[in-house]
Amino acid sequence: MTKRRMFLRMITASLLRRRSRMLIALLSIGIGATILAGLVTIYVDVPRQMGAQFRSYGANMLLLPKEGETLNSKSLSEALEAVPKDALVGAAPYRYVRLDMTTRQQSFTAAGTDFSQIVKTSPYFSVDGAYPSETRQVLVGKEIADTIDVKVGSTMELTYQPVQHVSDKTPEESRVPGASLSGKAEGFGGGIVYVTAVLDEEAKIASVSIDASTQTPEYGGRVAEDEGFLNQLVGRSLPLTLGDGVDALTGATVTSSAVVDALNSAAETSAATRPRTQNFTVTGILTTGGEEEGYIFMSLRDMETMTDSDQLDVAELSVSANVEQLESYAAAMTENSRSVQARLVKRVARSEASVLEKLTALVFLVTLVVLLLTMICVSTTMMAVVSERRREIGLRKALGASDSSIRAEFLGEGLFLGLLGGVMGAILGFVFAQVVSVNVFGSSITFQPLLLPAAIIVSMAIAAASCLLPIKRAVAIDPAIVLKGE
Amino acid sequence: MSLLELKNVSKIYGDLKALDNVSLHVDQGEWVAIMGPSGSGKSTMMNIIGCMDKPTSGEVLLDGVDISKESSKKLTDIRRDKIGLIFQQFHMVNYLTAVENVMVSQYYHSMPDEEEALEALGRVGLRERARHLPSQLSGGEQQRVCVARALINHPELILADEPTGNLDEANENIVLDLFAQLHKEGTTLIVVTHDPEVADAAQRTIVLEHGKVAREVINENFGK
Repeated sequence: MTKRRMFLRMITASLLRRRSRMLIALLSIGIGATILAGLVTIYVDVPRQMGAQFRSYGANMLLLPKEGETLNSKSLSEALEAVPKDALVGAAPYRYVRLDMTTRQQSFTAAGTDFSQIVKTSPYFSVDGAYPSETRQVLVGKEIADTIDVKVGSTMELTYQPVQHVSDKTPEESRVPGASLSGKAEGFGGGIVYVTAVLDEEAKIASVSIDASTQTPEYGGRVAEDEGFLNQLVGRSLPLTLGDGVDALTGATVTSSAVVDALNSAAETSAATRPRTQNFTVTGILTTGGEEEGYIFMSLRDMETMTDSDQLDVAELSVSANVEQLESYAAAMTENSRSVQARLVKRVARSEASVLEKLTALVFLVTLVVLLLTMICVSTTMMAVVSERRREIGLRKALGASDSSIRAEFLGEGLFLGLLGGVMGAILGFVFAQVVSVNVFGSSITFQPLLLPAAIIVSMAIAAASCLLPIKRAVAIDPAIVLKGE
Repeated sequence: MSLLELKNVSKIYGDLKALDNVSLHVDQGEWVAIMGPSGSGKSTMMNIIGCMDKPTSGEVLLDGVDISKESSKKLTDIRRDKIGLIFQQFHMVNYLTAVENVMVSQYYHSMPDEEEALEALGRVGLRERARHLPSQLSGGEQQRVCVARALINHPELILADEPTGNLDEANENIVLDLFAQLHKEGTTLIVVTHDPEVADAAQRTIVLEHGKVAREVINENFGK
């Protein structure tokens, strides 16, 4: 048997066969290591944790269109490429317009947005009911809900007036129920066909009149009088497709096609100026304590349908990053995008930084104190171990153990304890950090693989440092104590 | 030739002369008992011979080397290489088994050798108890383990301090028989005791009184 094996055998026997004593030493170092590993984990994770926490205070960056440019979903998602995916908590686009509620003769500000993003950028939104999940659903601010007395499940009829609302015109007057539209298209032989259609309230064709005087009377000219041809158009919504429910008049295919084209182009040009009215179901009442309570929220898609535009006014970004990173992201976005400029919400970003700094300092301080306490605790335990084993140490010296042997044996035991305590600390420390994280920050943390070796090394170093004084005591023991004695 | 020689050795603690100008010699292979009442200087002499203390004045020659002026580190080396110690309180490492306790002595001396340690235990009749912890052994068994531990490195001198002080008659005889065997093999034995029966087993008894050698008695009946 080699000396080293005997050394290990003695150390392990000392730890394993003197269980109760060593358990106390192990516990003190293990608990110390646990708290340290836990604190370090939290320390490392705190910026991320708090970053996520801070995000509940709302957006910390705004994206706005540059002067003379427009912001839309496409330019927004292009600009967002400058922010790392894992740092971007959410990006909520907003399009604000005034919508009329004709039945109440009132108008409100409506915001088209992405509810899946709002949940992330504005977690403080408190919704009584649910966020809209389908088209033609709205979330109504509490202030509005109280004013016009709508509840979850109520229906609201909202109208978008493309033209600036004229103040001396009541919403009732400005409403155009049976709108008509006119268009023209080139028919057979280059002759122009003029078409006028009257639409009903649901924007479906109520009647059509056609001027086909430029067409050959026996062929294309018949479209103006042919009952069958005209009747098939009634009740349809624009745009139309020839062959899909609308059949060309026999022998007048080109002219029939011109009629459809004229109607379609008329529908297109008139869309920009035609007021649009839709019924929305209220899915939830929004309470925020802020100005959002005076808004109606609907999906971007509904907003696009209402306004026939994918334009955005602003996007609110919630980014998990420190001030410097935020500034660099904002600069990158503003620089790289043709149409988008980014701005920090300074009030949020700055206060985050200062709170984070204080919190990190606090955790660091606590870590330091725990480190010190652990060392005192381990040192005291080892001191007790030494005085308890005075006789054994004396015996070993009497048997010829040199001072360095005694040192090596106690240091060996200390390091072994440190190793066990380190493993225990890494595992329990992670559990501890996890519990703290879940209970305090409400989110879980990922195990840092580096934690295990780090915890073991630190805990062994603490154990070794704590053993210095006890070892000094042990070495000073006089071997003569084993003679006589009680 | 003499293995151990004390020349005018004194040890003074304050006003107390624990050893007062003591001179004696022990031959190679001799079995000597040291007797005396409490406070006669037995322990002090034991400490000095066992390289655990230094005299205030005088010379102590062990195997021709003066150990009275050596550093404590050097004394440790000499103790390890030349002396096997046996104590009244047995003193085993309580978390190591019998065989491991013997191996501890090997460990500090040279190389641990479990086979050799087991043989030594066999010699004191404890081969079957080799894997027991001290708490599972009787006092007599423990002392026999200590004898095995003392002889494992083949020391030139076995120094026993009241080796039978805590043993019953039967175990006392077992230990004395072991000493007799060691003596036959040529090991020098110095046994400090206050028990006349133990002293009678030795070839020669040195009686200390008040720090001085009061008398020496040659055991006429030795070996009979």
